[in-house]
Amino acid sequence: MNDSKVIVAEHLSRHFGTLVAVKDVSLEVTQGEIFGVLGPNGAGKSTTIRMLCGLLDPTSGRATVVGHDVVAEPERVKERIGYMTQRFSLYEDLTVTENLRFYAAIYGLPRSRRAARLREVIEVAGLGDRRRQLAGTLSGGWKQRVALACATIHEPPLLFLDEPTAGVDPVSRRQFWEQIHRIATEGTTVVVTTHYMDEAERCHRLAFIFRGEVLDTGTPADVLARRSLRVAEVEVDRDAHGAGDLLRVLPEVDEVNHYGHVLRVATRAGADPVALVREVLGATGITVVSAREGRANVEDAFVSMVREDAA
Amino acid sequence: MSRLLAIAWKELLQLRRDRLTLAMMVALPVLQLLLFGYAIDTDVRHIRTVVFDQDHTAASRELAHSMEATGFYDLAGEVQSYDDIAHAMRSGRARVAVVIPPGFASDLSRGRSTHVQLVVDGSDPQTVASATNTAASLVVARSAELMVMRLAASGVPAPTQPLQLEPTTWYNPDLRTAVYIVPGLIGVILTMTMVMLTAMAIARERERGTLEALIVSPVRRLELVVGKIAPYVLIGYVQITLVLTAGKLVFDVPLVGSLIVLYGLSFVFIAANLALGLFFSTLAKTQQQAMQMSFFFLLPNILLSGFIFPWEGMPQPVQWLSQALPLTHFLRIVRGITLKGSGFSDLAPELVWLVGILLVIVTVASLRFRKKLV
Repeated sequence: MNDSKVIVAEHLSRHFGTLVAVKDVSLEVTQGEIFGVLGPNGAGKSTTIRMLCGLLDPTSGRATVVGHDVVAEPERVKERIGYMTQRFSLYEDLTVTENLRFYAAIYGLPRSRRAARLREVIEVAGLGDRRRQLAGTLSGGWKQRVALACATIHEPPLLFLDEPTAGVDPVSRRQFWEQIHRIATEGTTVVVTTHYMDEAERCHRLAFIFRGEVLDTGTPADVLARRSLRVAEVEVDRDAHGAGDLLRVLPEVDEVNHYGHVLRVATRAGADPVALVREVLGATGITVVSAREGRANVEDAFVSMVREDAA
Repeated sequence: MSRLLAIAWKELLQLRRDRLTLAMMVALPVLQLLLFGYAIDTDVRHIRTVVFDQDHTAASRELAHSMEATGFYDLAGEVQSYDDIAHAMRSGRARVAVVIPPGFASDLSRGRSTHVQLVVDGSDPQTVASATNTAASLVVARSAELMVMRLAASGVPAPTQPLQLEPTTWYNPDLRTAVYIVPGLIGVILTMTMVMLTAMAIARERERGTLEALIVSPVRRLELVVGKIAPYVLIGYVQITLVLTAGKLVFDVPLVGSLIVLYGLSFVFIAANLALGLFFSTLAKTQQQAMQMSFFFLLPNILLSGFIFPWEGMPQPVQWLSQALPLTHFLRIVRGITLKGSGFSDLAPELVWLVGILLVIVTVASLRFRKKLV
């Protein structure tokens, strides 16, 4: 095994009765990267993470995490990972400090290091003024900070974040991602699941999961390049809906979205979207007010992949 | 070990903040003690009684009054027919009726035998026995008295009774129900609170998602289980002490035997209940389910353990079933120690039972309680 590979998962599957939640998932995560697991709700993201943490046994396949087999040595894996879910796993009737102290103790942080480490995470997370507050009385964004502090109190080399920003306001989400990048810079590997596509672009590498299967993996740029999508943002003077219907049926067009009078048109196989739009709409009474090529994003790639998979 | 302490400490912190539960743990034993201590009285008294006197003589009235004088029957008036008796019983005005036949006084004075009928409402079987027994002994005594008077009247000297019974009651000579109920209450309260507290404490972590965080931590299964239930052992001992003290102060319940033996054996009983709570928590997905299971478990304990109804009166298969309840054995232990001064060696068989039950529950619970989701 390559030492820089923090996670190597091979053909992981998990069934719940007749339901196949995860099907033949293989992944590799390198030390120090932020690895995003992307997919809609129910795609099998959480189940995959839980198998990698030793919380669930895979029905078949195997995985080595931080150098240990998750089925044979789950407890060795657990010592060296941090895990945070969207439910935050805080004791609401304990104060911030009590929560931190509890997690420090159960992760076996040596008593001599505990006080210093506690001060450190409180400082970094900016929890100083709230350390005596009951966790249950904190807002979503603050709870998230405390949960992250708890999950990293033992300085794990690998951190799992399962939908960590679900239900948190946009400002807190941004601050949270700043923290994730800081943690990664310090050498911690981060595996994060999300269904927010804007968050996906903040990851170093991605795996797209849909219906329990990995559709593609790679850097956001690689994934986009493989789809060879181009995007145009087109403003029309009227009947954006009708224009969309005209464009959508074309074989070159992957997806059309409306934003008021603006259409976002994605084309595949490198077809020039601006030229295409002008050509098609020129023959109708709809006037193109403006048209310019935009940047294709991860969401475009994902939607395109899912459509292809479903077809 | 430090992880175990961290979990136990966290549990205590949470308990301290949960004022309602804490208050319940302390108030509940005392309230139940007062309620059950005063309310449960298997000694039946003051049964409403009607008299159907067909004789209307001094002798018949005297019989009715002597019945009232026992304190067992409260005369609730006279009736004129069997229909009236039936009506009085249906409406709940009377539970017992005494029927005195015509010619009662004249039969007595002529030295003939006469019959007094006692009609008892059998819908509550517990009263039937007491009502019948009290009346029977009253009639036997009255009968003997009349016999002696008749013999004296005919010039024969009063004979001595050939056979006499001298009932002597040990350990609770005044037959006070509270003395019987209060020690048993320790077992009932522990069964209720210990099972429910553990079942809910773990179900709560499952419900709030913190159990997932514990499972994903390097905490060992044993550390998790022992750390979670250890604080409740402490609460169990507080409850035992409360009930014993209040029982002594309010109901003058004795403590004849050794407190150390009682506290020592209680540990096995508390542990069995905590393990059972743990087992319930592996079945329950929510706190509510955990609570319901605890209540379903409590009822057979109260009815079948011998807490109120005598174990000896149960059919054999039910006796077997009740042997499987930890409370059955703990009741014998706690009553033996407090009332009879039983020592460790007297109670060894019950201890063997308790340990056996404990081992079975612990095995089943730990097989089900895994550090995995699903």
